[in-house]
Amino acid sequence: MSEILQIESILNKEYESVDLVSFQEWLENIDKLSNLSVGVIIGPSDDVSLIKGHFDFIELIALDFNNFDDGRGYSQAYLLSKRWQFSGEIIGINAHLDQLQFMIRSGVTSYILLDSYIGLNEEDYANGFSICYQEAVNNSGLQQKY
Amino acid sequence: MYQYNAEDSNFLVERVDQFEKQLKRHLAGELDDAKFRSLRLRNGLYMELHAHMLRVAIPYGTLSSPQLRSLANVADKYDRGFGHFTTRQNIQFNWIELPEIANLLRELSDEGLHAIQTSGKATRNITADPLSGLTEGEIEDARPYCELIRRWFNLHPEFSWLPGKFKIAINGAKLDETALRIHDLGLRLVRNSKGQLGFSVFVGGGLGAAAMIAAETASFIEVEDILSYLESTMRIYNLKGRRDHQKKLRIKFLVRELGAEEFSRLVDEDWQQTKNDSKLKLNLVELEQLKKDFSLPIKPIDLGGFEEKVDFNYSIWKNNNVRSHKVDGFSIVNISLTKLGAAPGDATSEQMRILADLSEKYSAGELRTTKRQTIVFPYVRKDQVFNLWQSLEKYDLAIPHQGTLAQIVACPGRDYCDLAKAVSIPIATRVQERFNDMKKLLDIGNLNINISGCENSCAHHHVADIGLLGMQKNGEEYYQITLAGETLYETVIGKKLGPSVSGENIVDAVETVVNVYLEHRQNQERFTEVFKRIGITPFKEKVYE
Ligand code: HEM
Ligand code: SF4
Repeated sequence: MSEILQIESILNKEYESVDLVSFQEWLENIDKLSNLSVGVIIGPSDDVSLIKGHFDFIELIALDFNNFDDGRGYSQAYLLSKRWQFSGEIIGINAHLDQLQFMIRSGVTSYILLDSYIGLNEEDYANGFSICYQEAVNNSGLQQKY
Repeated sequence: MYQYNAEDSNFLVERVDQFEKQLKRHLAGELDDAKFRSLRLRNGLYMELHAHMLRVAIPYGTLSSPQLRSLANVADKYDRGFGHFTTRQNIQFNWIELPEIANLLRELSDEGLHAIQTSGKATRNITADPLSGLTEGEIEDARPYCELIRRWFNLHPEFSWLPGKFKIAINGAKLDETALRIHDLGLRLVRNSKGQLGFSVFVGGGLGAAAMIAAETASFIEVEDILSYLESTMRIYNLKGRRDHQKKLRIKFLVRELGAEEFSRLVDEDWQQTKNDSKLKLNLVELEQLKKDFSLPIKPIDLGGFEEKVDFNYSIWKNNNVRSHKVDGFSIVNISLTKLGAAPGDATSEQMRILADLSEKYSAGELRTTKRQTIVFPYVRKDQVFNLWQSLEKYDLAIPHQGTLAQIVACPGRDYCDLAKAVSIPIATRVQERFNDMKKLLDIGNLNINISGCENSCAHHHVADIGLLGMQKNGEEYYQITLAGETLYETVIGKKLGPSVSGENIVDAVETVVNVYLEHRQNQERFTEVFKRIGITPFKEKVYE
């Protein structure tokens, strides 16, 4: 969606600006971009396994959660963080308040909410529960019953 | 009987609190219709034009008497005094006011009841054989496994936004009362050659316009490994399932497009990465605890001198509605809610309270719900069956339909459903009126008629002996007939008989089909056995004569 294209850079953990490129752009220019420490935006239909071998050259990954009902981002986050051990940040962009709990538990390390949620109490949605019933990438703060 | 502990109850309350906030934001215009729809469906709430429908889960089809009373109270307080038992071990309320939903759900949570994931594109209520633990030859009671798997996929962070809904059924019995191979995923408890317990896994079943039987993707998965295997199955579905076409969302389309073999290969490849992860193993200590919680509350009793009462009506009812129990001295009693002219599965709050009271007196306070929309009393002493029958008679609940053709499964159809192409319930009523002679019904014996008002197939017409599917032809209601579908002994999708038949003539056609069956039946042959032996032609010839 148009909202995504407007994000051209993003702040990392150290509050430094990192340039973002689309998944397609990155694949087409791997050699050139590998030296530049860019961040890659991955959309739901992108085949995330294609960047598996290139983690050393990627500063951070931005997973796009704009489409509320498209749950592929959660599996992408799981694969990147747990299975392939991507050690950089995994930022959920265009995130929805009501889905934060799912994103964070799937391995997203930080997030940028869509503008429409500004002013609402994020804590209520990121940590609405005291218990969880399944193993996940990040169960911190939750009593684990399984 | 198994009950949620304080942590689980608290979780239910937290879920209601969260949903209440979302509802408030929606009503204040802060959460748009599309997103709210997604969220409310995951809490069981449907919004029709003038009313709201709430679907409450009855996990593995087991209810306690206090739970049933709580449902009766909800029916009175928040609905119009009715509940509707569905074919997948849920109960639906059709007239819920939106602002009251949170209070309603809180009331239910006091009894450990909830509507979590009873709709939406996530793992739905997991169904089990309603006779779990009760029948001879069962491998194991499936309910402890249902409960552990239900918990694991409860608000699962990775699999709560799947391409489509995901229905799971688990069977541990010899006969398949769950219809597991028409589910998105079916698990059958099996023992391997070494005597170890595990599951055969079937993926990609479903009815609707493209009816499919689930393919076996694994013949034996050890009990401990089932969670990681299910996760891998859902991961492949989540990543590769069709999201671009409204009518191809379910996993059956992915399995069909890839081929069952390729699909299983992908699942297996993923699973090899996780199957040894100790954190994904099923908790065997908890399993043992659950087996205790679900163990039967009865011991064999010797009814040495007991003699059954002689009463004509009682013996008819007993013949159809009472089954033998694996525990000596006990019977399984089936109670039909089907009434002439009413939607099958409808129960009034009064009936619910009566059933709750009777279950305490006669069945250790436990009830089960079935896919034929009936209620089962699982633990009735043989020498008390007659007394139970008398009480049921008094309340008009001793309908001796069970297993006969008159126990019709019908969806709401055009009387209540926006999507319908034709009526269902009035056809059911007309068939019941045509076959209102008990002697004839008993002679016909066990025969299923299921009627769906459109291709969504809510009444499972594809897997009935006689299935009727409503459709429109030149602005009039017609019914397509399918024959000899089944799920109990094996899973077979019924065969189309021929051109659809008008609403006017459909009951004649059904009667003709039944007569062809009776004419060719040898010994005790079931409908499907006769059909296999003689084929479709004799039926076709007579119906389209
Ligand atoms: C008027 C209310 C109802 C509406 C609008 C409705 C709508 C639908 C739709 C659209 C589907 C197809 C979903 C899909 O395949 O993705 C479906 C499936 C289903 N419905 Fe309903 N339904 C209604 C009432 C019921 C009732 C009362 C029952 C139970 C008695 C029921 C049982 C089922 C079942 C078991 C399926 C799955 C069939 C399969 O295996 O494909 N529905 N329903
Ligand atoms: S089968 Fe069709 S008509 Fe019947 S309830 Fe389902 S959607 Fe409605």
